[in-house]
This record gives sequence, C-alpha cells and structure tokens, in this order.
Amino acid sequence: MNNRNMPYRLCLLTDFMKWREFSFKRYRKWLLPLLILAAMTEGAAIICGATFGKLEEGLLKGISFLGFMFPPDWSAFAEMVQPAFQSIVIAFLGTVFGTILSVVFALLAAANISNPWVRNITRLLIGLERSIPEIVILLLLIAAFGLGSMPGIIALSLGCIGMLGKLLADTIEELDPIMMESMESVGANKMQIIVFGVLPQIMPNLISYALFRFEINIRLSVILGAVGAGGVGYELDYSFGMLQYHRAFTALLVIIVMIFGTERLSYILRGKIKMEGALK
Amino acid sequence: MIEVKNLTKSLPNGRMLLDGISFKVRKGEFVGILGPSGAGKTLTLRCLNGLLKPDTGEVIIHDENGNGRDICKINKRELRRVRQRIGVIFQGYHLVKRLSALENVMIGRLGQISTARSLFYGFTDGEAAEALLALEKVKIGHLAEIKTGNLSGGEMQRVAIARAIFQLPTLLIADEPISNLDPSNAKVIMKMIKPLSATMPVVGVFHQPDMTAKYCTRVIAIKDGKVIYDGDPKLSNDMLVEIYGEELSLIEQQEHAVPAMLIN
Repeated sequence: MNNRNMPYRLCLLTDFMKWREFSFKRYRKWLLPLLILAAMTEGAAIICGATFGKLEEGLLKGISFLGFMFPPDWSAFAEMVQPAFQSIVIAFLGTVFGTILSVVFALLAAANISNPWVRNITRLLIGLERSIPEIVILLLLIAAFGLGSMPGIIALSLGCIGMLGKLLADTIEELDPIMMESMESVGANKMQIIVFGVLPQIMPNLISYALFRFEINIRLSVILGAVGAGGVGYELDYSFGMLQYHRAFTALLVIIVMIFGTERLSYILRGKIKMEGALK
Repeated sequence: MIEVKNLTKSLPNGRMLLDGISFKVRKGEFVGILGPSGAGKTLTLRCLNGLLKPDTGEVIIHDENGNGRDICKINKRELRRVRQRIGVIFQGYHLVKRLSALENVMIGRLGQISTARSLFYGFTDGEAAEALLALEKVKIGHLAEIKTGNLSGGEMQRVAIARAIFQLPTLLIADEPISNLDPSNAKVIMKMIKPLSATMPVVGVFHQPDMTAKYCTRVIAIKDGKVIYDGDPKLSNDMLVEIYGEELSLIEQQEHAVPAMLIN
C-alpha cells in the first residue's frame, strides 16, 4: 500500500494491521497444538484432583511446617557426620566401579571396536539399564544382600552403565578412524589399540563424565539411604519417623551442604580438565 | 621387494576403481605414485598393507630371505605379523594426540611385543632409548615428552617418520605425507624419507609432481584405476597434462615461477 499521502497515524494503523495479518498467518499452525495441550493439562489436573486452591493450602502448610522444624538441633550434628561420610563413600565407590563397568560396556557397544552383533546387544542392555530406576535395582539387591551399604554401592555402579556407557560408547565411535587404522597398520591387536589409542583419547571425557556422575550419585545415595542403604538419607528418614523434626532439619542442612559442595568441587575439577587439553 | 599383480576393485554398481594395477618396487627405490583425485592411488596403497582387500590380484611382499607371500590370501593373525614390518606414514595427522611424541614412536613396535606387556605400557629401557634415538634422527629429540596434540603439522609428521624408523620395517608406505605442510617443511620431510629407501622399498602417494621429480627415483602415474606411466621421475609437460588434464598447463607455469624465487 502506498502510504506517502496518508496521515501519520493512519500509517501506523495500517502498518499494525499488516503486521497482525502476517503474524496470524505465520503462527496459525500453533493454535491447534496449544489448544490440545491446554485441554490435556486441564484433563490431567481433574483426573489427579490437583487444583490451585490445594496448591495454596499445601504451600502455606509447608511454610508453617518449616517454621515448626526451625531451629535445627545442633546437638545432633555430630551424629550426622559419620552417616554423611558414609553416603559420600557409597557414592564414590559406586562411581569408581560404575565407571570401570561402563568403560567395558562402552567398548563392547562401540561400532569401531566390537562386532555388529555384540554392539547391538550391548546397546540394548545399556538402554534397558537406563530405563530401570536405581531405586528398583536397590530394592531387588536388598532382597539378595540385606540392608546396608553393599546393595547401595552395587545399585549405583549398575546405575552408571546406562548413562556413562552410552556417552562413552558415542565418544569412542567419534574417534579418528585414521588413528585406529594407523595402529592396525603396525600390527597392533584390538587390546593394544584400546590401551594405546582409545583409552588415552577418551580420558578427558571419561573423567569429566565420571565427575558429573559422581554429583548424581551423591544425590542418589541420599535417596537410596532413605530406602535402606544407610547413610545420611537414613538419618533424615529416621528423624521424620521418630517425629524429631529439629533433628531432621539438621540432616537436611547436612545433605544440602554435602550436595552443593560436591557439585562445586566437580564443577571446578571439570573446568581444569578442559584447560588441560588446550595449548600450553 | 613388493610386487603388485593385476589388482582390481569395483563398486557394486560396476564402476572400476582399480582396473589391473601392476608394478614392482625393489629395495633402494623411492617410488612416487601420482594421479588426479579419485584415480585409485590411496586405494592401491591401502591394498599394500591389507587395509583393503582387492577383488582380484595379488600383493606379494618378499622378506629378507626372498620368500614371497600374497597378503591378500592370509588370515588376520598372519596379516598382523606381516604388518609388524610395514611402516606407514598417513595423510594428515594419524598420531594419538594425547600421548607424548615418545609414546607415539613406541606404538610403532606394538605389533612386536606381547599384549600383556602393552597393557602396562611395558617398554624396556633399551627400547625407550632406541625410540628417543629415532626422534633425534628426525631432529625433534627435545620434543619427546610433549603431547603430540600440541605439536605443529611438520613436527607431527616427523614423529610419524620416527615411528616408522623405530618400527624397523622392510617396506615403507606413505600416503600423502606432505599434503598438509608448507613448502619448506615438505622438503624437509621428503629429505628424511628418501634415505630410508636405502634399506627398504618406499612407496608414497603425492600430489606434487615437482617434489617427486626432485626426490623420487621412479614415478608411477595412475588414472581411472590404470597405470598410465611408470618410469623416470621427471615427467614431460605432455605427460603431466595427460595425468592431470588441460588445466594443469596453466597451473604448472605458476608453480614453476614461484619456487624458482623461493629456492634461492
């Protein structure tokens, strides 16, 4: 439209109309999906009986409950140190054994190392493991080993395979094929190619993934502890069960500090690894 | 000595990638293979150490006693044994970037040591000293402990040569060893490869006719999977045009004009 002879205000208006026409045409296709999503959300809320009224009520209750827990019972702090340490140890051992297991699975699941059949079966196993929550593994293991840290460590180790195995297998598959061929060319066998070529090249990723998994395992060890693997998670659960809310608050604070601390530590260490690969 | 007889390789759609390649390379020869991209040079080279199995034909490698073996017809285990004595310098950077230069040189002998030893990086002091000597031969002994990922292109290619020297091969294969290097580094690398041909046949694929003319003892030209020239490294202009096509005559003039000024 020629707007040279139009008053300024009318110009703005026609501009706006053009603009609206354009954006409606362009984004019209999102209308139906958005309506469907809204309907599904409303339906789901009705089915499980969630309303904003209940949310408000619960929030208020929660805040007053926090006030009720306050102040923490510092005399129980000394009792928390040992369980917290136990949780960290469970997470640490779970990560170490889990990473070792994951490397084995990753090698078997990498197309450039293993044969197609083994690769596909291992990939399937890794995928299956990823679909089983650690808590389910733990409950199965408790049936076999009884309560204690042992089933916790095993559950966390197995839990690593789903994530680390997949990530590492992908890393191995992205390795430079010429490098592998050049090692093959001097007569090296599979084992030697793995030790001299694959492992050194994936080491930065390996360490970085393992540290990241350690963060996750610390959180999981608290949850598994509440279910029966011992540690600070158990203290929290026990205090709540005994209605000792001030003690529970102490446990909560210890857990938060522990998780936040390991996260920062792991973050700093992972930063160091990236630096190391760069030029000196 | 290495003898290649009538190699053929075709794609499933019937296109011939290699169409009857035959040649012999003896000890003391430094053979440069030239040809346009996609002519089958690298494919031929990959057949020489069994990375690729040709459809038909033989690759016979003779050992010190003159016993020949066709490496296209041996099993994996025997192939590994033959490969222990074939040195390889690949196109670009094929080294393990996170290992030191010295460790990369030692990889040259992986095929010759037991798996148990290699699990623990178990090289003897004697072998380590020998590897260091190989690095000093290519004049980068001072870089032995540096991670190869931090080396320059020329230095990496020298590590690759040191690896081949340390391997004590009876045949050396080089796939475009100077493609990624600047002209002066390329010359240095050629000068380092050439003397190795005194004790073993050396076969290399190159894209630089001026380099092969200067350093090789013989040139083989491959085009469309066939050998179209085999002989004196100094190619005539007509031959160059036949290998690379008409456009070359123009490029050649420029190439000759520039190095003449650079050399002095």
